[in-house]
Amino acid sequence: MLNFLQVAGQQDLISVISSLIWILFMMIFILYPTFSQRIQLSYILRDLERRLQKLKVMRDEVRRKTVETLKKYSGDGVNVDEELDKLLLSFMIDPESMDPYGIVYKLEHIVNTWEDTFEEHVKSICAKADETWSKTLTNLVEVARGMDYLYRVVRHYYLLGKKTSNIYIVLQIQMLMPQLMEIAEAYRQACYAFTQGQPIGDGVGVLAAAKLVEGLEKKTYQVAKDTIVHELEMDGRKIFVLRAAGPGGTVGKPADGVLKILESEGDRVKAIIMIDAGLKLEGEESGKVVEGIGAAIGGTGVDKYKIEEASKKKNIPLYAFVIYQSIGEAITPMKKSIAKAAEETAEKVKKLISSKVEEGFSVIVAGIGNTVGIGIS
Amino acid sequence: MFPQRRGVRPVPKPLTHLKCLECGTLNSRPFKEGDYVFKEVEEKCPKCGANRMKIVGIYVEDKVTKKGKPS
Repeated sequence: MLNFLQVAGQQDLISVISSLIWILFMMIFILYPTFSQRIQLSYILRDLERRLQKLKVMRDEVRRKTVETLKKYSGDGVNVDEELDKLLLSFMIDPESMDPYGIVYKLEHIVNTWEDTFEEHVKSICAKADETWSKTLTNLVEVARGMDYLYRVVRHYYLLGKKTSNIYIVLQIQMLMPQLMEIAEAYRQACYAFTQGQPIGDGVGVLAAAKLVEGLEKKTYQVAKDTIVHELEMDGRKIFVLRAAGPGGTVGKPADGVLKILESEGDRVKAIIMIDAGLKLEGEESGKVVEGIGAAIGGTGVDKYKIEEASKKKNIPLYAFVIYQSIGEAITPMKKSIAKAAEETAEKVKKLISSKVEEGFSVIVAGIGNTVGIGIS
Repeated sequence: MFPQRRGVRPVPKPLTHLKCLECGTLNSRPFKEGDYVFKEVEEKCPKCGANRMKIVGIYVEDKVTKKGKPS
């Protein structure tokens, strides 16, 4: 009969134990490559599940706040929950780009139709809201839509990864989660800002334009949809300060405004100055004002294209002022450093005008951004 | 790989900054629904007692960042 101590040809207990440990290590080396991915996958899925749960709580909070606010302004017999669901799941299809000729104008047409339809739908829910509030409420629904979409995308990758046990799918979404959670948090805070009509970081371009003309004698009129212009004389130069009309949340149609002014002013316009919020890099200071060249405007690219096209045609230089902020700061209540940067930018614009535009000529200053909580100066 | 715990952040509450249209005194109070920048409001100036003020800013205070770290 084989003695227990004779395992692996050894006679003493220590040798047997060391042999068993050795076998155990060998087993780990053999089994680890087979099971390591499964262990990792379960860890990642558990982490994703926890974050997805947090995202759901945030999504529900934004939805609840949105429904509450819409109900305050909704007419009798309107099922706000049902109507909000329709808006949250609505979509816009980009134009076909196989033949890119004329794509900008096709995109413009689709975006305009989408924006008008979305706004009209919100207005039909909130019959009691005035023009200003219906624009801010449209922004609020857009925030809720962004939050809802973010949650659905993360949930999709989580479930897809779980279903297929594909570590590479869940790994990618896990790596993006810190940034996605930051965006979700920004949406959550943006929802509170829009429910109360508070100015957001993105509005700094408009605020700077408003500060430029504050207290000065000027003629104010509408130049395009939701877009106004202040026309004034400053040190012998004619200045057209263009911005979206506040205090409701809108970005207006700055390109259409610029084109109309160029059409009426002819060759007298010697510069176009654009002011907008710009994304900072991590570690950079929020509210820092930087100068550059080009069309400072985001969005779909339609406005940028039209302004660049018009300025090139007439050989008008494009100057840009950008106020640094993070993506989160752009859609959450405005910070002091960003608000103060508006005044600094207005001063810099004045200096630029006097150095680049000769007396007797005109200049267009376009303040770009969302006007929520920013009235007309 | 291991989860990090972080609570829900409080929503920042902005202050409304007002300027007296009579004496130019600057004053601030918590934001109220309906406030917007450049709005003229009927509020009493804490210095001269005049009843007309203009909202010159609505913003939240910046967070103080730790010094001595790369920024």
